[in-house]
Amino acid sequence: MPREPQISTYNYLIRQLPTATAFINKKFEVVHASDKWVSYHQLDTANIIGTRIDTLFTKLDDQREKLLRDCLMGKSHEAQVDYNINLATGHKWFEWNCKPWYDEKENIIGLIIQTEDITENKLDQHRLYKAQSLLSTIAEVSKIGCWEYDIVQDDLSWCEMTRKIHEVSEDFVPTIENALDFYKDGYSKNTMAMLVHEAKEKGTSWSEKLQLVTAKGNEIWVQAACMPMFKNKKLISLTGTFQNIDDQIRSEAKTKENERLLRTLVDNLPLNIYIKDSESRKILVNKAECDYLGVANPEELLGKNDFDLYDKEIAQISLDEDIKVMDTLTPMLGRETISRKKNGEITTFLTSKIPLKDNNGRAKGLVGISLDISNLKQKEEELRNLINITSLQNKKLVNFAHIVSHNLRSHTANFSMLLEFLVNESDESEKKKIINMLTDASDNLLETLENLNQVVDINTNVNLQKKPINLYSKINEIEQNLTAFFLNNNATILNHVSKKVEVHVVASYIDSILMNFITNAVKYKNPEIDSIVTLSTTNEKGYTILSITDNGLGINLKKYGDKLFGMYKTFHNHADARGIGLFITKSQIEAMGGKVTVQSEVGKGTTFNIYFNEKN
Amino acid sequence: MKKIESICIIDDDRITLFGIRKMLNLIVDCNDISSYVNGKLALDGVKKRFEEEGNVPEVIFLDINMPIMDGWQFLEEFIKLPIEKRVRVNIITSSIDAHDIQQWENYRKLTDHVITYNNKPIKKSQIAEITRKA
Repeated sequence: MPREPQISTYNYLIRQLPTATAFINKKFEVVHASDKWVSYHQLDTANIIGTRIDTLFTKLDDQREKLLRDCLMGKSHEAQVDYNINLATGHKWFEWNCKPWYDEKENIIGLIIQTEDITENKLDQHRLYKAQSLLSTIAEVSKIGCWEYDIVQDDLSWCEMTRKIHEVSEDFVPTIENALDFYKDGYSKNTMAMLVHEAKEKGTSWSEKLQLVTAKGNEIWVQAACMPMFKNKKLISLTGTFQNIDDQIRSEAKTKENERLLRTLVDNLPLNIYIKDSESRKILVNKAECDYLGVANPEELLGKNDFDLYDKEIAQISLDEDIKVMDTLTPMLGRETISRKKNGEITTFLTSKIPLKDNNGRAKGLVGISLDISNLKQKEEELRNLINITSLQNKKLVNFAHIVSHNLRSHTANFSMLLEFLVNESDESEKKKIINMLTDASDNLLETLENLNQVVDINTNVNLQKKPINLYSKINEIEQNLTAFFLNNNATILNHVSKKVEVHVVASYIDSILMNFITNAVKYKNPEIDSIVTLSTTNEKGYTILSITDNGLGINLKKYGDKLFGMYKTFHNHADARGIGLFITKSQIEAMGGKVTVQSEVGKGTTFNIYFNEKN
Repeated sequence: MKKIESICIIDDDRITLFGIRKMLNLIVDCNDISSYVNGKLALDGVKKRFEEEGNVPEVIFLDINMPIMDGWQFLEEFIKLPIEKRVRVNIITSSIDAHDIQQWENYRKLTDHVITYNNKPIKKSQIAEITRKA
């Protein structure tokens, strides 16, 4: 190797080469290396000369070695080899650019290797690859395609996904014009045409939900977006995304429709529906609930609890129910509840409360459903009253039938008995006596019939005209009419009724009622003392109550209470007692919608309380 | 004619009183027929006689519907009297009320006295049948 020393004279020149360069001989041993090459590989200059290049930092694989050998043999004039090494400062990629090293006689004596650090390139390549694969994954998963329009070249390109969304064939070539044609006529097409135009002119960006008809004729919703691209402040292209959002739009529409359906249903049910949160505050109310609580807008009720809306006592009951339902997670179904609003208005509801559970199975609130049954309750009450009245009437009727039967039978029995006597009697004076008795029997029968008629009359005149009458004046009038009667019996009447009190009564009945009670009070007086009859009134739930108190004999109510107002029942051995007065009086009071009660103590006196119905 | 020591008629209807008394005169030999117009007067009369003379009527005709004290109230008090001999009480009424029949059943079980239930009008033959010693 005579030439080598010659070369070494240039050693210092080679070391200063601006590029990382190494010279190797045919044995791959390093002969020269620029300082840059040494520093690239973080080696020591002293140790490298004469060392095989592949033992320095990497082992050349067969393929790389072959490349180098081909170059050495003159088979190729250039060879590129890349490799990576781990250096103290990190992982590096290098690329060799090899050329044959000729001597003056054009003999190849080795290789000149120029080394370049391509780490950045490699990393960029890697990043790009990663970004591309990510993009395609995203496109595949999200069905988002992309497109690019080169304004200068008037060239539109679609990615695979965009083509797929358009359902075009493989040989379809998109242009701005035919792309626009896919949009549905009308709003969608007009909007897209305008957007593309504006983007081309002004470089605007946009994103729009539009309908298009695919190549196969399917109508779908897409989301198209556009970004302008500039180069040197000049608009050169438009690029954007393209997404099939048909399922999304349709499910949104479906959800909206379901919501609307549910809302319509909830609002139009003739039920009060509300949802409460765990603190018993209303978070949803329907129209019926708003109407019931007298608000136009549901917002006015949201966030409010029962204490804000109802009477305190009612609110507490409702809150206790809420707590129980949420604590036990057991629905309360069809309970009859009474609601009283702050203004005192009372409503009866059939209420159900159903707990609402969160994902952990704990109560997060409840759904309340209330049916207003106030009318039903009122009807039920009316019906019950009607049944009571009917059964009472029926009892009266049966009783009356017995009275009639008994009374008529007793008279007819007398007739038949007396007639039998008469037929068999021969004694004239006895015959005359029997005939007199027959006359008496006939008179008694007539009287009985009259009494019965009177009773029937009272009980059948259901549409009696009631008129307001001043009670004080009426009592005075009766007192005037009975002046002689009071004088004869040493009796006094005390009218303590207020001059203002008016009662709604049937004129003829009130006369008979007052007359009967007042004369009775005097008739059954205690013979030891002078009779005093006191009249006064009180009020009670729709009734004016007239109390007539005497200091007479009194009645043993334990013994006679149930018979006191019966027909033909008399309790005192009194000549005038016919046992019909109280029966008729009671019938008249009841016919006017009232009632009569009695308190009495034998030897002390009696009080009759007459209830005048002022409601109807 | 059968002989009855003492008969008592209790009825507020004077025609019935007359009728029963007239029929009795035709069918029995009795010198002691008393009559009362209500239960109270009858009870007082019977009690007084029982206390003073120690005897009571052998046969009683009793009406139900009467003022002051009715037939049942009379019977209630009468069966409490410590009378040793059996008395025949013939109820004579125009009542066909089931309640009254029930009352009769009740009182029959309560006492050793004979109690019969008869509806008005009452015929002479019936009177003859029920006017005898218990």
